[in-house]
Amino acid sequence: EDKPNLLQHVRFQSWNFENILTWESGPDSTQDTVYSVEYKVYGKKPWLAKEGCQQITRQSCNLTAETSNLTELYYYAQVTATSPGGQTTKKRSTRFNLLQDTAIKQPDVTCVPKVSSVQVVIHPTFTPIRGQDGRPQTLQDIFQDLLYRLQLQVNHTYAMHLEGKQKEYEFFGLTPDTEFLGNVVIFIPNWYKKSAPYVCRVKTLPDRTWTYS
Amino acid sequence: GQEFQFGFCHVQGVKLQVLRKAFGTLRDTVQAQDNTTSVRLLRKEILQNISDAESCYFIRALLKFYLKAVFRNYYRQASELRLRRALSTLTNNFLALASALQPREEDKVFSLAESARRRFLQVQGAFQQLDVEAALIKAIGEVDILLTWMEKYYQ
Repeated sequence: EDKPNLLQHVRFQSWNFENILTWESGPDSTQDTVYSVEYKVYGKKPWLAKEGCQQITRQSCNLTAETSNLTELYYYAQVTATSPGGQTTKKRSTRFNLLQDTAIKQPDVTCVPKVSSVQVVIHPTFTPIRGQDGRPQTLQDIFQDLLYRLQLQVNHTYAMHLEGKQKEYEFFGLTPDTEFLGNVVIFIPNWYKKSAPYVCRVKTLPDRTWTYS
Repeated sequence: GQEFQFGFCHVQGVKLQVLRKAFGTLRDTVQAQDNTTSVRLLRKEILQNISDAESCYFIRALLKFYLKAVFRNYYRQASELRLRRALSTLTNNFLALASALQPREEDKVFSLAESARRRFLQVQGAFQQLDVEAALIKAIGEVDILLTWMEKYYQ
């Protein structure tokens, strides 16, 4: 008897350690097909049912809380699809590597224009992961080699570049009352990770020092 | 430049990113073939308890194991799966690391070497309990676990 294909592409999608399991309906599934999710730590025996994702009709499940242990790191998930007639299809995700498989969102940045400079302040990015002290971890806490790459486009042919681990930077020597385009990227060399850029368009302040003389 | 410092042992010239990139090529294919999801060779309990002083002995034993018992026996499959180049990159870099990791005579401490050997034997024992093909696939599929442990010693 042919096994029905009610389910396909079970995979983790992860951004800054927000880990969402997604899947797609299969050729044989209908609106009434329901899905149940289980997860496990690689190397451990039991599959554990994910509360809140049993017999659901949607095609995603947030497994962040269950897959956020930096000492375990490697997980699997599997989905069982059940048709109204009671037929089932079970499919497993690939092995999810917490550090390897999370993508990095653009940083949270404030660009502060001054008369002849632009200050760039990068705010810490907190993750759902908690340290041993229970404190939420930032990306920098987790990835020791994390650094920031900043660029300020001055004109069509010239751009200024800064790079480092600190949170505050300043581009000096700019023309007052002029618009500049800045972008900031998070870069994690050891893992080949690079975030989408944060882009800010900013205009330096007019220089009023000579106005009253 | 970037280098590994395993206790007393110091190694330059091997880049973690190169190893990760090579493994990334193999990963999906190899891990998809590993269906014993309840068995892990490089268990957290083994890796977490390795002291800094033992690390050189442990990593040396592990690299030699990967070179002699794992990579060498997987080349036929790797060729069939078009993964030979990635496997060669891992092999060459593991070879460079293993040959550079020579504890100096004055640093040799029997108790540390013995402790590291006992931990390594746990990995080897789990490997030998599996069917030959499954064991190779699992060991290669766990290179990322090894690289993540090694990163602690990467400066």
